[in-house]
Amino acid sequence: MAQKKISIRIDGELVPALEGKTILEVARGAGRRIPSLCHMDGLKDVGACRLCIVALNGGRLVPACTTPVQEGLAVTTNSPEIAAYRRMIVELLLVERNHVCSVCVSNGHCELQSLATSLGVTSVRFRYRYPSLPLDLSQERFVLDHNRCILCSRCIRVCAEVEGAHVWDMMGRGIHSRVISELDQPWGEASTCTNCGKCVQACPTGAMAEKGWAVEEMVKRTAQVAGAAVRKGVSL
Amino acid sequence: MSRIEDIGIFNAMREEGLAKVLPAMPRIAVGMGTCGRGNGAEGVYQALSHAIDRDGLDIRLAAVGCFGACSEEPLVSVWLPGQPLVILRRVQASDVERILNDLSRGRITPDLAWCKIEEWDHITAHLRYGQGFPELPLWSELPFFSGQKKIVLRNCGLIAPDDIDEYIAVGGYQALYKVLIDGKPESVIEQIKASKLRGRGGAGYATGIKWEFLAKAKDDRKYIICNADEGDPGAYMNRNEIESDPHGLLEGMIIGGYVTGASQGIVYVRAEYPLAVHHLARAIDQAREYGILGANILGRPFHFDIEMVEGAGAFVCGEETALIASLEGFSGRPRPRPPYPAQKGLQGKPTNINNVETWYNIAPIVLKGPAWFTEIGSTKSAGTKVFSLVGKVQNTGLVEMPLGTPLTKFVYDIGGGAAAGRTVKAVQTGGPSGGCIPHEMFDTAVDYETLAQLGSIMGSGGMVVMDEDNCMVDIARYFIEFTHSESCGKCVPCRVGLDQALEILNGFTKGTGTAAQLTLLNELGRMIRDTSLCGLGQTAPNPVLTTMRHFRHEFDDHIIAKRCRAGVCHSLALSPCENSCPLHMNIPRFLDLLKEGRADDAFEAVFLDNPLPASTGRVCQHPCDDRCRRQTVDSPVNMREVHRFIADAVLLTDRFEPLAARIAARKKAPTGKSVAVVGAGPAGLTAAFYLALVGHDVTVFENKAEAGGMLRYAIPEYRLPKRVLAQEVELIRRLGVKFQFGAGVGSAITLNELDEGFDAVFLAIGTWKESWVNLPGTELKGVLPALPFLESVATGTNPALGRKMTVIGGGNAAVDSARTAVRMGVDATIVYRRERKDMPAIKEEVDAAEQEGVKFLFLAAPHRIVGDARGNVRALEIAKTRLGQYDSSGRRKPVVTAEIVRLDCDAVVLAVGETVDLDFARASGLTLREAGTFVVDRFTLETSRPNFFAGGDAISGASNVSNAMGFGKKAARKIDERLMGAKRFAGLAGGFQYSMEPPETTSTSPRHRSAELKPAVRVAGEDEVMVGLTDAEAGDESCRCLRCDIRG
Amino acid sequence: MSKLKLATVWLDGCSGCHMSLLDLDEGILTVAQQADLVYSPLVDATEFPAGVDVTLVEGAVSSQEDLSKLQTIRARTRLLVSLGDCAVTANVPSMRNTIPVQKLLQFIYVAGADVNPAVPTQGVPALLPQARPLHDYVKVDFHLPGCPPRPDAILALLSAVLEGRAPKLPAVKFG
Repeated sequence: MAQKKISIRIDGELVPALEGKTILEVARGAGRRIPSLCHMDGLKDVGACRLCIVALNGGRLVPACTTPVQEGLAVTTNSPEIAAYRRMIVELLLVERNHVCSVCVSNGHCELQSLATSLGVTSVRFRYRYPSLPLDLSQERFVLDHNRCILCSRCIRVCAEVEGAHVWDMMGRGIHSRVISELDQPWGEASTCTNCGKCVQACPTGAMAEKGWAVEEMVKRTAQVAGAAVRKGVSL
Repeated sequence: MSRIEDIGIFNAMREEGLAKVLPAMPRIAVGMGTCGRGNGAEGVYQALSHAIDRDGLDIRLAAVGCFGACSEEPLVSVWLPGQPLVILRRVQASDVERILNDLSRGRITPDLAWCKIEEWDHITAHLRYGQGFPELPLWSELPFFSGQKKIVLRNCGLIAPDDIDEYIAVGGYQALYKVLIDGKPESVIEQIKASKLRGRGGAGYATGIKWEFLAKAKDDRKYIICNADEGDPGAYMNRNEIESDPHGLLEGMIIGGYVTGASQGIVYVRAEYPLAVHHLARAIDQAREYGILGANILGRPFHFDIEMVEGAGAFVCGEETALIASLEGFSGRPRPRPPYPAQKGLQGKPTNINNVETWYNIAPIVLKGPAWFTEIGSTKSAGTKVFSLVGKVQNTGLVEMPLGTPLTKFVYDIGGGAAAGRTVKAVQTGGPSGGCIPHEMFDTAVDYETLAQLGSIMGSGGMVVMDEDNCMVDIARYFIEFTHSESCGKCVPCRVGLDQALEILNGFTKGTGTAAQLTLLNELGRMIRDTSLCGLGQTAPNPVLTTMRHFRHEFDDHIIAKRCRAGVCHSLALSPCENSCPLHMNIPRFLDLLKEGRADDAFEAVFLDNPLPASTGRVCQHPCDDRCRRQTVDSPVNMREVHRFIADAVLLTDRFEPLAARIAARKKAPTGKSVAVVGAGPAGLTAAFYLALVGHDVTVFENKAEAGGMLRYAIPEYRLPKRVLAQEVELIRRLGVKFQFGAGVGSAITLNELDEGFDAVFLAIGTWKESWVNLPGTELKGVLPALPFLESVATGTNPALGRKMTVIGGGNAAVDSARTAVRMGVDATIVYRRERKDMPAIKEEVDAAEQEGVKFLFLAAPHRIVGDARGNVRALEIAKTRLGQYDSSGRRKPVVTAEIVRLDCDAVVLAVGETVDLDFARASGLTLREAGTFVVDRFTLETSRPNFFAGGDAISGASNVSNAMGFGKKAARKIDERLMGAKRFAGLAGGFQYSMEPPETTSTSPRHRSAELKPAVRVAGEDEVMVGLTDAEAGDESCRCLRCDIRG
Repeated sequence: MSKLKLATVWLDGCSGCHMSLLDLDEGILTVAQQADLVYSPLVDATEFPAGVDVTLVEGAVSSQEDLSKLQTIRARTRLLVSLGDCAVTANVPSMRNTIPVQKLLQFIYVAGADVNPAVPTQGVPALLPQARPLHDYVKVDFHLPGCPPRPDAILALLSAVLEGRAPKLPAVKFG
């Protein structure tokens, strides 16, 4: 069934769209910048980070990544309120775990860090939690550092949906949530892991990295993984 | 038992059931819900069962569910054929023999009988029990049940939940039969739509429309789900509904399954509800046996089954997508909608989810029609809602009321208001997802829209009532702690936002919060509300946002003044008594010093905390009594009498000089600053004492001839001897405080002159104008305002009162006037428009007045004063009042009736309240409130004029001595901070070493009270009525303190 | 017009921010025209003077001494600037925050020492339980993140506050 062509308004401008697409897809297709963290092209969207919130018809805030477009929809992608909320979300992520950028392998190549910069964060108003979190070095090629994890679940999804291995999942709830491999074994003992590294490349921060890189040296090949994911999605 | 295949079998079963509900013998039914069992219902049931077996009695014994009145459990209903059903309350196993004995003689045990039911509308059927027992009230006449409309709870507490026959007997499964026979599912959906039934889980989405979505969805398999994952703290409607009437739920779901084309129903019920699980499982088995579930239901070609799944207790699984995830075996995390469950639900199939209570409404609507349903409730919110009314009300329990009922009705009429001496402050609706509604807004109609406008929600129906003992900051913290621990962690705002909100609120309750954090919390709350993924996060900030909106002053108290008035936040108070004392006296300290035999230290410690300890020891309203933890053992420590004892032992003896010297020695070096205090009443004297103590040059201006204010001129000698007060004033003078008497500010000296001559001015002018009532006859000779009357007696000129006097009012001034008159040989009657318990006067004083022969006339409002030809008072006519609606003070408002009573008298004293001298206040040029009191900054007591501070009754309106002194103490601190630029009051009263070890033993004695003169002796003179504690009594009383100031 | 008083302070940091300050190059001359450096690790004054207009503070608050210094600075300064990531986020010093202080000191000075294994107590300030950013303790007027902050950003901020303007900073990397 061919998708119906409709048009919606984004920040006042009429934009053509295909029915069934999400606001994020349509807006980015039209060259709009909407920040996001948990979204990755080719993966199922979960609407977890809430950074891509946009206002519908000037009112209700919805995540652009999971909200389908509808004929006649008017979307506002930014406003002082939305900007303040996005900034606050980034601040919350920064205090949640131990993001010590100056000693991080992803310093300078980190999605969280660049979002903070682009949203004009110059200090964090909340109290840093400084939780005590482990580092998983058991895998031969990769590192999992929970101190840098923002629980976006991109690793979980890329592994389950693209690689088909489903090594990763989330345990615990609330502030105690944590990414685990299999049934909370060390990564190196996870028999389902294919050693493919997609999770590492999909990770927006320094939570997953290749071994052997020093500070600032880990540059993720996110686009490559996303491209593979999209091609796989198309072939399905 | 056979399957129901046709109407004949169905009707036969109904007859069989009726023989159980209304048997040919007496029936006793014990309320065996979880709440009843918790109060001993099982023991009652066993005792009954044992006695009936033992004696071979012809009595049918049944275990039923709960009738809703939790505070009266265990409930037992007793029915004799032809008689009304009688409900007995608070029945214990030991009562069983009496009950059976009485029953054998056709009687109902009178002390247990609560109410009767003559007929009952099961909605699906109408039962007539019988008439009789005229001495018992009908159930609907009891305040707790007044206005209740039981649709959802139609069968609860009346039929046995584990017996399908009893359900059928009261019209159960008739609606299902009708729907199946009619065979028009679309018309049922139309009926539900027309009924305007909305989801009872909280969000309030139209049920009919939801059903229509599912009906229209094309799929080989469709599901309907009952959400019974009730998890709000303080809410237990659903538990009781399923426990008491499981078939009502099944019938609703089977009808829903039929009309939407679903083939499978699932009840997702909390595993923590074992009794509900048990009854539901049994009900499902029975229904299958009867052919009501399974293939070919009721002999028609319709197949449907219901499965029960026990949830593991995650609050978030009440959210429909998380619930579905949980049913599918995943961890309970919600997912974004769309797609909605009606499009893609359980296992990807179209699914409809409704709350327990929604399902209970289906059968009644099908049978009675939508028009009947929309008649009940408000325009947009039809029908009823079950609420669990809990917290600080006298009657708690499950209450089913039409939607749109105002909150006052719940709190005061049904709940009976707060306990005696307490005031209801707010109601939290909707549990942790809801908001707090302050008592000023209790006219609020309880429906979906109105509650949402106030920032709250209906939620599943929790209604927690709070009084002044609840700290709203702590309430907010408590609910955030709950949602914080129940957050699934998927989306950032809820996961981290609630964690930070909790962090900030914890800081507030510990006294480490800042004003910037309050602003941040507000922004954070709105962000969590507007951006969270599911209902849990979107509603979690409601308790914070509403308490910040309606109780901002409590947040300010915690953040700026570091005080928790409710005394809940332990880090912000020394002890409950200290927290309640307007002067914040360190009460445990002086009790311990006295206990250690250090009387001089005790005096010094007391005087540094309270420079009028002997006066307040006699006349204080002693709020500390209400807070004392000792009352959980027996009765509160008599703190007021102990500090009176400590003070008297010095002030009235030769220990005065050395101790006055000790206190004067504590005076700090002169600061070179001067302060004027206007008014030598309790507020002024207190401020003057502390200001002098920290080294300022203090002058007190007073337009009367002596110091003391109301203590000197309004409180009679028999309560507070003038020589006691004089000693206290003398000690204050020893610190260098200068007094200028006869120096009325505004006449002898102007405010501008004070401004020029002093670095700061404290206005403590009190409320010396007696309010005049708008009453015919007040111009007559013999009409006296209370204050001038008391003042003239206090200065030695007794006005002529004749033989009989009436006093209008219920405060301390009214009681003082009457008791003074009695001592002058005059017959005195106090006329008050409310009831005795509502009198603002100190209770002990009212009792003493009564002993002395003062008469009281309650529920009486003045109507007119009658005079004779010469213009003298002859009588007071009063109009009898009755108590009407509750007002904002939580007391019932007196309503004047047409009944007039004449009281002959020669004088009328008006004691209806005092106000500030408006002429002075207006002339001052300071900003005033409507009542004429000065507007001040709540935390610094600064007026609108620089360097001018105000306190006492002049800012609060007429209050009492201790409150005025509290203001005086605070004003001194704030003035000193302003003049010196530093906080110098910390440690001002310190330097005492005393035991901080928990006492090994405390005195087991009951509270020691002061001895009193006999009434006959009292009225013969002006001698002090309260003699005071003896040495031994005071010492032992100090040993009664439990020392809750010691922590850790 | 008399010159403004400028101060710089170094708490728990690596001095990198001060190095960046020195990297202002000729910009330092512009600053020097408008302000006197009255207190700094770069000048001789031993006590923090009263009436300072602008103070740049580098480093996190890690010890009791840092805290009391910071409180003195706040009381005597009109505008307080958190200079660099350690002051803004506690950065590297915060990496010890998940370890209890006693355990940490034992690990370093006892278990990890070859000679004289003992936790020093004389002449060293007591560590606070955690290293924290400045604004956890005092009001901070401007934050200038960076590890270290860029010299042009420091100059932009300084020139603005010295001239009494609201600073408009170049987009600076956070964290």
